[in-house]
Amino acid sequence: MSRRTAFGALIVVAMLAMIAAALPASAAVSSGAAPGGTLRIWTDKDRRADIDRIAKAWGARRGVTVEVVEKGFGDIRDQLKTVQPATAPDVIIGAHDWTGQLAADGLVLPLSPSAATRKQFPKYALDAFSYGSTVKRLYGAPVALENVGLVVNTRLAAVPKTWAALERAALAFKNRNPDNLAIAVPQAPAGDAYHMYPFFSGLGGFVFGKNRAGNLNPRNIGVANTTFLKNASMIDRWDRLGLINSKVNYDTAKNAFLKGQAAFWITGPWEADTLKQSGLRFRIVQLPKIKFRSVPFLGVQGFMVTRYANTHGVGTLAKDLVASYIMTASSQRALAAANGRFPANLTAGKQVRDTVLAQFGRAGQGGVPMPNIPQMSSVWEELGGAWLKSTNGTATNARPTFQTAARNIRTKIG
Amino acid sequence: MSTAEHLETSAAVGLGTRTRRARRRPRVLGGTWWRHVLAILVILWALFPIAYVTSAAFNANQTLGSATLVPERVTLDNFRYLVEGEVPGRPGDPPTEVPYLRWYANTMIIAACTAVLTVLLGALAAYAFSRFRFKGRRLGLLALLLIQMFPQLLLVVAIYLIVLHTGAVFGFIGLNTLTGLILVYLGGVMGVNVWLMKGFFDTIPAELDESARVDGATPAQVFWGVILPLAAPVLAVIGLFSFIGVVNEFVIASVLLQEQDKFTLARGLWGFIDQKYSENWGTFSAGVLLAAPPVVILFLFLQKFIVSGLTGGAVKG
Amino acid sequence: MSTTAVRAEAPARDTLAQTALSLPSRAVAVFSGPLGLALKILLLALVNGIAVWAAIVLADAGKWPAFAVLAVTTLALDAAYLVRRALPLKFLLPGTLLMLAFQVIPIFYTVNVAFTNYSTGHILAKNEAVEGIQLNSLAPLENAKSYLMAPARDADGNLVLLLVDEATGDTFVGTREALTPIERDKVQVDELGVAGAEGYTLVTGPGLVAIDRELTAYTVPTDGAAAIRPEGLGVASELAPTLRYDAARDRFVRISDGVVFTDNDRGSFAAASGEELEPGWKTSIGFSNFSRIAKSPLVRDPFLRVFVWTFAFAFLAVLLSFVLGLLLAIALDKPGMRLQRSYRTLLVLPYAIPGFLSLLVWQGLLNDDFGVVNRVTGLDVPWLFDSNWAKVSVILVSVWLTFPYFFLISLGALQSIPAELTEAARVDGGGPWQVFRRVTLPLLLIVVAPLMIASFAFNFNNFGNIYFLTGGGPASSDQTTAGDTDILISYTYKLAFASGKGQDYGLASGVALIIFFIVATISSLAFWRTNALENIR
Repeated sequence: MSRRTAFGALIVVAMLAMIAAALPASAAVSSGAAPGGTLRIWTDKDRRADIDRIAKAWGARRGVTVEVVEKGFGDIRDQLKTVQPATAPDVIIGAHDWTGQLAADGLVLPLSPSAATRKQFPKYALDAFSYGSTVKRLYGAPVALENVGLVVNTRLAAVPKTWAALERAALAFKNRNPDNLAIAVPQAPAGDAYHMYPFFSGLGGFVFGKNRAGNLNPRNIGVANTTFLKNASMIDRWDRLGLINSKVNYDTAKNAFLKGQAAFWITGPWEADTLKQSGLRFRIVQLPKIKFRSVPFLGVQGFMVTRYANTHGVGTLAKDLVASYIMTASSQRALAAANGRFPANLTAGKQVRDTVLAQFGRAGQGGVPMPNIPQMSSVWEELGGAWLKSTNGTATNARPTFQTAARNIRTKIG
Repeated sequence: MSTAEHLETSAAVGLGTRTRRARRRPRVLGGTWWRHVLAILVILWALFPIAYVTSAAFNANQTLGSATLVPERVTLDNFRYLVEGEVPGRPGDPPTEVPYLRWYANTMIIAACTAVLTVLLGALAAYAFSRFRFKGRRLGLLALLLIQMFPQLLLVVAIYLIVLHTGAVFGFIGLNTLTGLILVYLGGVMGVNVWLMKGFFDTIPAELDESARVDGATPAQVFWGVILPLAAPVLAVIGLFSFIGVVNEFVIASVLLQEQDKFTLARGLWGFIDQKYSENWGTFSAGVLLAAPPVVILFLFLQKFIVSGLTGGAVKG
Repeated sequence: MSTTAVRAEAPARDTLAQTALSLPSRAVAVFSGPLGLALKILLLALVNGIAVWAAIVLADAGKWPAFAVLAVTTLALDAAYLVRRALPLKFLLPGTLLMLAFQVIPIFYTVNVAFTNYSTGHILAKNEAVEGIQLNSLAPLENAKSYLMAPARDADGNLVLLLVDEATGDTFVGTREALTPIERDKVQVDELGVAGAEGYTLVTGPGLVAIDRELTAYTVPTDGAAAIRPEGLGVASELAPTLRYDAARDRFVRISDGVVFTDNDRGSFAAASGEELEPGWKTSIGFSNFSRIAKSPLVRDPFLRVFVWTFAFAFLAVLLSFVLGLLLAIALDKPGMRLQRSYRTLLVLPYAIPGFLSLLVWQGLLNDDFGVVNRVTGLDVPWLFDSNWAKVSVILVSVWLTFPYFFLISLGALQSIPAELTEAARVDGGGPWQVFRRVTLPLLLIVVAPLMIASFAFNFNNFGNIYFLTGGGPASSDQTTAGDTDILISYTYKLAFASGKGQDYGLASGVALIIFFIVATISSLAFWRTNALENIR
């Protein structure tokens, strides 16, 4: 070692001792971990203010501090899988179709609300949050319901009572002007099986059949069931006539309806405010029966208790909040209203005065909850793609398209 | 002359010729009219989508890609929301807080730090690859490129976990910190940037270093005193690239930053459109438009370095 | 443009070289001696200081492996900078360390994941999964009772549950030993639930937090394995396990029919019939992901088509971007040309807008029935809905996004080409095209070729462009899940995140590894072909 390096080393040692002494070690530890007795809730933007108010009122009574963290809705599910226990949430808001994945992951805890509480909810809303192949258990407290309906511009067309009437009116309207759409339903660019579901169910299609225990069976795929295939030629006719055009994307459909270039629009309560402010005269109904009742997919949003609630020592508190307090009519009313949805609680539902929401609610009668088993992720793209292809105006034969989709779904589920 | 000969001479010709380059170059491909035509055509194509973003930003109707370029109802509301930091909610609800200016500041801090450090650290490495001959040099260079070829999409999960675990002990470089994000971005310093810089360093004649070394300068002194000033054009290019890269980067930022106050522009603005059926395209577009000026200003500032290089400066100095 | 004029009258070569050569001596004056040394020592001391502090924190937190890594790294750093040898290392270390931390380690992590079953249903550790299965297997008995409940303490201070049968209104006190009826009028019930009982003190407020863990584990045995468990703070349910965990033999037995579920080495307890219990856990599964990839018809059938398109897409996107960028750079590299600064700035604009936005805008503009492009041009091109046109669109938009990059690079690179060379070529009698092809382009390629290869590799994995523009569509005529514009990485995404049970990180990492080998091989070949490495001086 040269003298110069030795000198350097000496200074290094001196300096580092100084710096090390100056920095308190404790300053480095992050303040991520919640102190004992704090309950952490992950919520989306829409409901942030209301859950804050409701959960804090509850917390005051139970002597527990509530911390509400805002996340993107989809991020809640994704981040729950990689979150560190110290910063993990005890309660999350979620969609019912996450139930299967999160329960299979072991990230959410089963709930048992009292019989009196259960009675205040429609069976399908509780079913939507229930999962389990051997034992079916409830994993979420339903809060808000949503589904699509057929919005009719009543200045441009009468509310159709039958499918034939809808077809006639829609085509007549479309032929009035080359810019007009017959039925504005979004599909482009990648397909949209959710918005297309009323047409699918109306032709006899279903996604998963149920087994004897009443559970969805991922082996029984109804995307190309014989009844549906028999009716599939109707799709070819719609395509030929331009009743449904898969090149329509969400904005095109919305703009067409708002500008009076479409008399019929398939959409859901998230557009309730747009509709109210549009100045149009409209009514929302269920899509008329095609061959079968054309019911939409039902979506249920609600709260779940994560496994981290137990590790944080707030397990019973979290269950008390979710399975009791949040399920009461008054909490439900506020939480559903927070993002403009119909409340899941029946008592709260009866108090809804908003006619648009009520009409959307009626349009969902008899609807099918989106399958909540994890295998559903194999379905969306294939089913949406089949619709996309068979209604793109190129005279594709729908029958083989849906058969291919069913085959691909089967392969994907494996 | 064969290509190989050119390559040899290009290094040997030396600095003096570098000054004159384009200025003296004869009219290689004819007059200027075609230059204007080409430029204008490409600019039309380049600005076509941007015109629609601009239209959406001034449009009262919160949709994108409406078939008209001229907004139906011109409004400055979208810009006002961003500056005031509040976007009105649905009727009867309180407005949503949008700390846009904060995102703006975050982005500028992250982009500036990343750009400066990328240039500095990248240049150090490029200098080593350009001027030293050492074992594993070729392999190292190839490795730099190959490592960056791993599909980034998958690495995000691992990066998240690393930052998560580091952050659990050292909060100041954990999730939701600007420093953490900068460090992650700096992980990408070694790569194509180093190649680009090394390529330019190679064109700086070795005689310059050698004479400096004869004068008694250490390699570090040659680097700071000779190479860096002469390489200003490429440093400016790299700085610009990494600045733009950070402003546009969205995937890693959205995974690492989870609190509104810590968002970058791209991450924050994404929040306006990530909910499938309730997008705020107008506000989003306005936010994007406001993000462009710093990049443009930086480019205008760096343009003279990029185009004229340092040799001009050396003459003046 | 006065400076240009001055520079155009540049001094003779000798003077210039002298001026440039005087630079180092001035620099030496600044950086040599005590100042340079002091700077170096200061920086190193700072690094060491931070390291020591970090070491204390790590030791404090008991993170010994991290402590060891830190110690070794710091010592290595000191060694590198204090020892006179290893000169290149001094320049390479800072960037390399960051690369190791945020590029190389994530790659190793991903490679490691490729050999696990990390996926939906397999994210917990085994002991957590066992716990989860036990919780999920609790089921209400037939005619199971549910109770209004309140935690309370008896006269001795023991935790008990005050219970009111929801159906009958019967009242009980539940302890860990048994369920004991008590007189109804001793228990007060209001609309909020159980409000109190004679001889017992309700636990309320902050007291609830203190007993939470105890309460979570609290069971009041009723009938056989069934027990009443608190489900929150106001409700209790009678639940019975449907599975029994045999810890000694590490297996579950279903109580109703005696079916045995054993560890199947793939992260699940499974019965002979193949039925698996949920949740499973994350575990190493060797090469299973790779054999799945090799065997799956989902991968096999469309692989060649997708691969060819991926290659063509990446190649064309880079080539066209480069050609356009270079063309523009040449066009605008003309002294005295009017507006050139404005042109340059406008050309860089596509680069200043976040890419995902541009892609979403393009997607709307290209819609063939409703998009602006067809309306403005009067064409009727199925930009996104026809297999070939969709490919054209994807490439066009990618070029739109990338050409400013090559424009900037070319702009800079053109400056570094000595005018003597082009002039000499002209004197030799070459036309403009000859000069460009024989002199300018080869010199340019020395700098740009590695960047083109890197850009090729980037586009090879350019998930965003495909995902935001076409989503991989339109559906392919060969009827597979892969759409016509799906590239390998976007198709991987569909396989690993939109099939099976949802997210399969193990599979995705496996495919990513394979894609990496493919693109690395192609790129290495390209290097070899272009002699890029051979041209390192």
